[in-house]
This record gives sequence, C-alpha cells and structure tokens, in this order.
Amino acid sequence: MKLLRRARRRVPVYGPDSTDTVLLSSVAAGETDALEILHRRHAPWLRARLRYRCSDHDQLDAALQETFLAVWRSAGSYTPRPGDDDAGAWLWTIAIRQLISQLRKRSNRWIAESEPEPYETVGDASAEDTVLLNIEHGPLGAALHGLSPELRSAIQATVLDGLTVREAAEILQIPEGTVKTRVMRAKARLREALTT
Amino acid sequence: MSTSWHLTHDQLHQYANHTADGVTAMSAEAHLTRCARCRSLLPADEAWLDRSWSDLRDVVDQPRRGPVERLLTAIGLRESTAKLLAATPQLYRAWLTATVLVLVMALTVAHELPRGSLLFAFTAPVVPLIGVALAYGRGVDPAHSLASVTPLAGYRLLFTRTAAVLVPALTLCTAAAFLMPSVSTLREAVFWLLPALAMVAGCLALSRWMPLSLAGGVVGAAWVLALVLFSLADGLDPSLLFTPTAQVSWATVLGLLAGAILLRVRTA
Repeated sequence: MKLLRRARRRVPVYGPDSTDTVLLSSVAAGETDALEILHRRHAPWLRARLRYRCSDHDQLDAALQETFLAVWRSAGSYTPRPGDDDAGAWLWTIAIRQLISQLRKRSNRWIAESEPEPYETVGDASAEDTVLLNIEHGPLGAALHGLSPELRSAIQATVLDGLTVREAAEILQIPEGTVKTRVMRAKARLREALTT
Repeated sequence: MSTSWHLTHDQLHQYANHTADGVTAMSAEAHLTRCARCRSLLPADEAWLDRSWSDLRDVVDQPRRGPVERLLTAIGLRESTAKLLAATPQLYRAWLTATVLVLVMALTVAHELPRGSLLFAFTAPVVPLIGVALAYGRGVDPAHSLASVTPLAGYRLLFTRTAAVLVPALTLCTAAAFLMPSVSTLREAVFWLLPALAMVAGCLALSRWMPLSLAGGVVGAAWVLALVLFSLADGLDPSLLFTPTAQVSWATVLGLLAGAILLRVRTA
C-alpha cells in the first residue's frame, strides 16, 4: 500500500542542498525529512523577522509552528515563479498571516475565525521591492529616517509585509482608518523628502 | 534574485539580536526575503531550532488518514466518527473472514445439492447478528475498559460499531444472494433481510440487560431453535419463515424493537 502510494506521487530526489521548489514538492508527497530541511533553512530568519512585529515569544513560536504546519498541508499549492527557486517570499506571507491570526485569537477569542485566504506570494519583485532592496544606500533611506516610528511602521506593514489595510490594523493594533491616514501621510512625507 | 550587495556580518548580527534600528531592519528584511545566502549566514539559536522541530514533528508524524477514512469524511461524517468506523473492522477481521467463508460454502452447497439454497436462507440472517454481537463489549474490544469511560461510550459507540458491521455484512449477504442459483425476483434476493435486521434489533434491545455478545447468543439460539421446531413439527416447514405473511410479522417485530430502542435512548 505504502509502496503504491509512493510510486503514484513520484517523490523527487532531494537533499540538504536542494532548492526550495524541490523540497516543497517532496513535502507535498509526504516527506517529513524535506520539511525538516525547509524548517532548518527558513525558521531562523522567519523568527527573527517576526520578532520585530511581536514581542511575545509564545505567540511567535506558535505562529511559526502553524506556519510550517500550513506548509506541510498546502505545499502542493506552491507555484514557483519561473526562474526563481526561492520560497522565502511565499513562506513569509504564510508566517505573517499566521502571526495575525495568533494575535486575533489572543485578543478576541469569541470572534469566529474567518476563512483563511489562499496563500499567494506578495510583492512580485515590484518596483517597491527594487527600491526597498537599496533602502540603506539610496535617498529613500534618509527619507525613511525622517519619518516618525508610527508612520514608518504603517509603511512597513502595508508595503514591505504586503498586508491589507485590515491585516495591518490588526498587527499594529490601531483602527483601519488610522492605518489609511498614516500610510497617506507617510507617502506624502516621503514624496516631499525625495523630490526636494 | 541576485543582488550586487549583501548584508555585512555586523548588520546580520544586529538584525538577529533585535538591535537594528527601524530603517536598517526594513532594509535587511527586504533583502533577506530574496537572498538565500544572507539568510543562511543569519545566526540561529540551535537549541530553539531543535525544540521547534521536535514539536512540529509530533504533529506531522501522525499517520495520514487511510482511503476509507477520507471517503467517510468526504460524505460528511465527523473526523472522529470516521476514524472510529475505519478502525472498527480491525476488531472483527476474524468475523469478516468467517463470513466470507460461510457464504462461499453456502453458495457452493446451493449450487451442488438439491434444496441446498436452504442453507443460505438459514445462515444469511444470522451473519449480521454475529458481527454485531462481536463488535462491542468487554472481551471483544481490547480497549473496551478505556473506551467505556469516554464521552463517546454507550449508545453512540454501540450504534457506530453496529453500523460499521451492518454495512459490510449486508453488502456481502446481498452479493451472495444474487449469486444464488435461480434468483429471478427481487424477493428471492432479499427475503433474508427483514429477519436479519429484526434479529439485530432484538440483540440491541436485549443488550440492556446483558452483555451484547450474550444477547447475540440468545437471539441466535432462538433462531436455531425456531428452525429445529419448524423442521420437526408436523405440517410445518422452515421455509415458512420467509413467506410474505412471515415477512410482515418480521417487519412488525423490527418496527416494535426499533421503537423500543429509540425510546430507551431518548430516556437514557
């Protein structure tokens, strides 16, 4: 029975040096070892990044746990962009959504969990990304330095993390309207700083 | 994506230790999302990593659900019920084998001997009964004393197990009935069904006062006794047990017993 199932799903050959795409298709075929390699490769930086958004270690670890469980369950839905074998952006999308649902559980347990949206990679190497990759070195760095922390975190959640206004409101724990006005104000400030 | 620059050692450590300022952190994050090289250089907490993986493995290593279980879930059963139903045949695998053997034997006899189909007529109604009698209770289920203290125990477990037995038993018997020689009408194929169901219901009703396996024995013995009496008595024939008039009484008995069981469940 097990042999049959294996033959049907066709597990690709994988090792610690395989690309994310190969590992994810092995995970989709039920290989726990492939998941372990992915976990070892991605959990540290995901955790470091989540730490900038949540100071509660328990919630953070729970979110990471859920992230990799979601990977285990829905690895088959991962579609790599052509020529890009890196699943970092996809994993981050899952991780930040899991963190938000963790925070939601904590703050209002009586609200029924909404259906999770399908995981899609955010920020398809857009213009924003290319600019952000050089934040430190370009004029944007100086402009961002000039922003107040509130405005910067609003920009971070909506642009860098690719969250919707509603999700940004949840993770920053401010009303949606406030997120919108902050993003607008931050963009105006940035435009001002970059054009003058 | 290949980039022309990479994060420095200091930047990586500042970022990992949560000491990077806001803008550097944003820059590092934008870079890390795409750069596998810098990600692998990020200092990692090995102890945490191992702990996190072992927690994860506990969940991931759970057995995947079998096809039967998935099918049952797909038709709308709850996951726990599906697991229970799929696990039950493990308990009565011996009974299932025996059933197949008995039915094959009854079929052979029916095809080889004159009036041989009577053997099938007398065994078919008892097959589901024996299965049900062996599906629940102390001495049958190795986990019975564990299961009896769970909220699932009692009627729900009893009925779930019964259903898990009845479906294969009735399927097997129907299949065998259609393989009998000279089956021309529907009545000749399902004449055993009402007696079988009535006896199962009788067994479940009796289980109020005695263990289920004993109840099954009592009902089975009554059936054999009836057969013997009908063959010995003058002017009577065991096949009278399956005449249309008899079927009506079987249906009445089944209805009464089902009512009694339902009433008992409601008031329990």
